[in-house]
Amino acid sequence: MDNLSEMLKGILEGIVLEIISRGEIYGYEITKKLHALGFQGIAEATVYALLLRLEKNKLVHITKKPSDMGPPRKFYTLNERGFEELAAFWAKWDFLSERIHLLRTNGGEKNV
Amino acid sequence: MFSHEMKEKIKQFAKEQAPYYLEEAEMTYMEKLRRKTGEAKSKVIAKLAKFKSRSETAMEAQNDMILYMSDYMKDLMEQGLSEQEAFERAKEELKFRSETTKSADLQERIFAYYNNFDPADYEAIGLFYGAFVFLGLSIGALIGFIGSGGWEMFLSDGWIRTLIGAVVGVLIGVGMGLLSHAVIVLKRKK
Repeated sequence: MDNLSEMLKGILEGIVLEIISRGEIYGYEITKKLHALGFQGIAEATVYALLLRLEKNKLVHITKKPSDMGPPRKFYTLNERGFEELAAFWAKWDFLSERIHLLRTNGGEKNV
Repeated sequence: MFSHEMKEKIKQFAKEQAPYYLEEAEMTYMEKLRRKTGEAKSKVIAKLAKFKSRSETAMEAQNDMILYMSDYMKDLMEQGLSEQEAFERAKEELKFRSETTKSADLQERIFAYYNNFDPADYEAIGLFYGAFVFLGLSIGALIGFIGSGGWEMFLSDGWIRTLIGAVVGVLIGVGMGLLSHAVIVLKRKK
């Protein structure tokens, strides 16, 4: 779908945390997963920048493995804080999607 | 996979661009920390500086970018692009375009400016300038007029002294206005 980037800005971190939570993964592999999920419009730079932020915010555990390009490749998994952040993201998402659904179906009225 | 020359190009690009991303990530982190602790940004920066090894972090960010860019280029080359084309595309995509760090800093400064902006200060500064210029002009002209010898002398050559007195008075008035402006600015800074 086109022009999703503005809507995705606020939730991309949650999406990437969910991808990382499924198992050890490296940077560009995450971008490929996002593309495979249909998020084609996400700029490559966005994921690189996001991974730096996740690392800075201490939400991921990093394992370094040798690579054929020279520097070691970082593989990401979620740490405890990362899982907490992910749970918080889904709680917010559930709240938001429920309200949006209510708005769309009943104009925001709960008991119609 | 890549030629030696291309590897060098990738390294150079990463060396140039990675610091911008790192700075942005650090700013976001500091912003969070600041909101959490309620401390001023400068204090948080000072605290962070004590704990991190800047060069090591920068080198890691650079290495991450080298690998990320290489992976992306390999992907593009598998799709049929040449090495050079893949590099150009990756360079364009990974070039740092900040919507946060620099603009947020600027916004913060603008916000701080307007937050501290008090129209009464500017009104006072304007009144000081006006008052000092009028006072200087009057006193200078009067001294010049009296010093030249009064009305009779004024009509011959004495008006020049009155004029000089008025001009010097205006200059002193502007000088006093500048001084009061400086005092107000310094008081606001505190």
